[in-house]
Amino acid sequence: MNKKDFQRFLAENPGATRPSYFRRPDWTRRNFFKVLGAGVAGSYFAREAKGQDAGTCTSQSVTELNTAQNVIFILMAGAPSPWDTFDFKPNSATPSAIDVQTINGLQWPTGIMPNLGGMLGDIAIVRSLQAHALVHSLGQTWVQIGRNPAAALGNIAPNIGSIVALEKASERTPADVLPTFLALNSDGGVGEGYLDATYAPFKYDPTTAGLPDTSNSFGETRWQEMLNTLYTEDAPLRNNSVLGKPADDMNGFYQSAQSMMYNPAVNAVFTYSSSDSTRYGASSFGNALVIAKQALASNLGTRFVQVTVGGWDMHVNIYGPNGNVASGSNIFTLGKQFDSGLSALLADLKSNGMLANTLVIAMGEFGRTPYITGANGRDHYVNQFGVFAGGGIKGGTVIGATSSDGSVITDNGWSANRPVNPEDVEATIYSAMGINWTNVCYNDPFHRGFEYVPQTNGPDFWYPVNELFGQSS
Amino acid sequence: MKKRFVTSVSLVCVVLAASGVWIIRAQNPFQNPTDTQVQISHADCTYFGPQRSRFVPHDRSQLGALTAQVTRMLGTSAQSSGESSGIVAHASSGASPMMASPPGGTRTSTGQSPTSSANLIDFYIFQAFQQQGATPAAPTNDYEFIRRVTLDLTGRIPTVAAVTSFVADTTPAKRANLIETLLASPQWIDKWTMFYGDLFKNASNWPTTSTSVTTYGRDAFNTYIRSWLTNGTPYNQVASALIGSQGTNNFTQGELNWQIGGHVVGTGIPIQDTWDQQTANVADTFLGISHVNCLLCHDGRGHLDTLSLWGSTFTRAQAWGFSGFMAHTNLQSPKDPTTGDALWYVNDAAYKTNYPLNTTTGNRPPRQPIGTEANVAPVYPFGGQGPNSGEGYRQGMARLVTSDFQFARAAVNYLWAEFFTVGLVDPPDQFDPDRLDPDNPPPAPWTLQASNPDLLNALAEDFIANKYDVKHTMQLIANSATYQLESQYDPNTWNPNWQTLFARKLVRRLWSEEAADAITISSNITPTYKTGTLSFNWAMQYPETAVETTPFLQAFLPGNRDDQPRRPDGAIQQALVLMNDSTVMSKLVSSASGAPQSLLSQALAQSSTTNLVNTLYINVLSRYPTAAEMTAATTLLGTGTTATVKMQKTQELMWTLYNKVDFMFNY
Repeated sequence: MNKKDFQRFLAENPGATRPSYFRRPDWTRRNFFKVLGAGVAGSYFAREAKGQDAGTCTSQSVTELNTAQNVIFILMAGAPSPWDTFDFKPNSATPSAIDVQTINGLQWPTGIMPNLGGMLGDIAIVRSLQAHALVHSLGQTWVQIGRNPAAALGNIAPNIGSIVALEKASERTPADVLPTFLALNSDGGVGEGYLDATYAPFKYDPTTAGLPDTSNSFGETRWQEMLNTLYTEDAPLRNNSVLGKPADDMNGFYQSAQSMMYNPAVNAVFTYSSSDSTRYGASSFGNALVIAKQALASNLGTRFVQVTVGGWDMHVNIYGPNGNVASGSNIFTLGKQFDSGLSALLADLKSNGMLANTLVIAMGEFGRTPYITGANGRDHYVNQFGVFAGGGIKGGTVIGATSSDGSVITDNGWSANRPVNPEDVEATIYSAMGINWTNVCYNDPFHRGFEYVPQTNGPDFWYPVNELFGQSS
Repeated sequence: MKKRFVTSVSLVCVVLAASGVWIIRAQNPFQNPTDTQVQISHADCTYFGPQRSRFVPHDRSQLGALTAQVTRMLGTSAQSSGESSGIVAHASSGASPMMASPPGGTRTSTGQSPTSSANLIDFYIFQAFQQQGATPAAPTNDYEFIRRVTLDLTGRIPTVAAVTSFVADTTPAKRANLIETLLASPQWIDKWTMFYGDLFKNASNWPTTSTSVTTYGRDAFNTYIRSWLTNGTPYNQVASALIGSQGTNNFTQGELNWQIGGHVVGTGIPIQDTWDQQTANVADTFLGISHVNCLLCHDGRGHLDTLSLWGSTFTRAQAWGFSGFMAHTNLQSPKDPTTGDALWYVNDAAYKTNYPLNTTTGNRPPRQPIGTEANVAPVYPFGGQGPNSGEGYRQGMARLVTSDFQFARAAVNYLWAEFFTVGLVDPPDQFDPDRLDPDNPPPAPWTLQASNPDLLNALAEDFIANKYDVKHTMQLIANSATYQLESQYDPNTWNPNWQTLFARKLVRRLWSEEAADAITISSNITPTYKTGTLSFNWAMQYPETAVETTPFLQAFLPGNRDDQPRRPDGAIQQALVLMNDSTVMSKLVSSASGAPQSLLSQALAQSSTTNLVNTLYINVLSRYPTAAEMTAATTLLGTGTTATVKMQKTQELMWTLYNKVDFMFNY
């Protein structure tokens, strides 16, 4: 089925894509058996390539945006409320402290995000973003891998950042000593999936002490000598090892570790000054953004940074207990932290000229209910928001619109004429990075073809939101 | 137009199926389930969260093309004191050494030590080799074997004395004897307390459910695990004790802490969430069926279709029947009058009704009556039985679970996965009950799930016949010719499809604790670890992994027994800590307090360079160097140097051994 037919079907059947527990629009009979065949094979590598050699990729001819060199992907884990932030909707419980003002034609909660309000000219907001599922871990995995974790290859799918690392590997130079993919405050984040460990996220939780164990107590000269001896005596086990690929992988990790040692530039990336920390809001989120900025600015090979900021799962007292908006973790306290960090990041990237080629994205795994619950919180809901800046994004853009309480998407706001899904965000990232999002690579263990963006509805069902860049899709 | 119409119709079916509208069978909803309450949820299905990493197949390694020339790890031994290195012609020579000897039978290679005769594992595995045309790896030599089996059974590398006496031993049954000795050692208790602590998720607190048993509860559970391993309590009795536990003080009655670990705390969270979590824990831990957790939120259809034939038709209502066994369980946490800490009691007193369908809040979707059915009676999902008359619900559950053949299958498969890196069913907690019986295979396109279904069943039967003795199963595994195959294989002739045939021993990166303890043993410099009131010298004696907070231990990903499982992956951080962390660097000294015989001082005391190098190799790597390694070492050490230079060069050589890949892997 092509896109047009599907869109017509949707127009004639408005309820058809109502998300259920989670949506599986991909269940054509053909796909069912295709998927099933892979899922039930007794041995996951027993399947031979069907007309494709392992390692080859196929794709359609597309025009990538190619506007971004780098990506900072902020995962707002726990699912933030759109209705108190980037798609503000007043309700009877809205506290006056939220201080709504009209900025750039938007109703803006100045009491929660005072600084970002002044930067809306650099920010694009997607208000027709919609999740498929309302399960935290499922949804968080979904946005990191850009597909249904339960679908075929879902459980071995790489993080989007790992695909970027794979695609950008050929652009690395010997001076690129940092991993292409950094994951900050993301200990539980998705890794490289079936890809080579070379493309794994380098996970680091920022501290003022910086990265541990990057120098040797014997001194650099002796360390070099030791390393030379090691590589000589251990060569047979480290390259095309008779012990199998885990040994080769470990050698790769040594090469990476080696290049990160005795490198003041590397040390400078992984620590932060107290003044920067303060400026970014003095939070672990802010500190991670400082590191993200430093990593990209260092030009040492990092291209994709994931930063996770949790705590948005506000089922109870979203405006603070007993109306005390300064108490505990609520939309005010966390929102201000977020505002401080992101606004400082955007300001810094703008002033050092990197915003133009650095795509910054912030989104949760889903949204929250339009209504305030009996527990003075908001429960889970599919309609959410996405925030985009830099990397060719046209600032001031708002894609899509929701009804007065946010319960219904009233305008999809882009050419697909359906809500924007995490898969579309994924395609947008790839396109902005100059990566063909229709790639299907047969290097997966099943040799059944790993689709960069899922093609279960046809190869052009999910695609980049070019409207964010002031272009038509 | 007609074509488009057809397309749309097919899509309607698709969308209907996906959105939960389906033909409803109007019968007893618990026996003939319908879709129930699948709209919303924010519970975590273990399949998708950070736990997901457990489900990425282990060892993606051997998937790629292995194309390079053969590089034998141990070409010729540089050690000249009698015993040859035991290296035999590899499979690459064209010969097929294992085919020449019957499974489990006598080996013909030099330096080999036959162990027990006919081993059921070898019967099935070698049959599969023949059927699939697989050429297994050569048998391990004695050096490889003693390091491998000592690490696997005890988490430690062997001492030099153990290695040399084992290699010199000419007793035909020396491998079997070694295995017997290791299984009887206190180190075996340490390692398997850690293993079962991981499996039972023994922790002082679980951040994701906001539950704490404090260090007192954790230590009590740790003591419980140690004592059952020490006493040899049958595993089915352990499982029954954990599932059915009742008592008033979890600080003294360790087994209570397992059920308490399923407690889900929070405002507005109903007791059913706890019962569901406890049920999911039973299914995961003792049946290897983690999909039950998913099914306690929603039906399997549209969700587990590609993952589990059983799960794809199982419903939430049926899962409630399983959870119904927990429905009399009450957990309370009064303060300990002495310590003021929250202790717990677990009993079946507070709740008298069957599992009520009356929730609208909490971590799982609402539970509302189906028709007039407002309470769900306990029904075992794999057979339909309930508790006996007069039997407590959880006691009934314990009886049904532990008498289920799947209980034995799951138990032996968890062990298999630990010894062989990949389970016979893998991941080992994703059993599909409908795809396990070779006499009743699933309909196409499904296939039997286990890589060797007959072996899995035979192992389970053997486990039952031997009174659910985990030690017996470990002994069977370690004595098998299959386990004793080399991990080295000519990359040119290795076929990735043979991986799940177990035609070579897949390498395993050492656990955090194994790596730290290997450094302790070899350097002869013993650290002291402290957590809470506990103080100990071996990392394997940590009572929980979340408190292993040093950069060295963290780099090897021990997990936290909550949302972060132990992981087998490599990482850049592992290279950084092995190269630079004080855990290694502080051991490269000639004397340390309490350690006058540090390895470095032992090496420096040797009369010749060759002996110095041999001393370091046999201590750190449990083997002697190859000729090439000896050359590299002597080049580094140089000649005619001062004592200071000699010490520095020796330190450097010792450092290289801690950074060799055959140090950080069990191969």
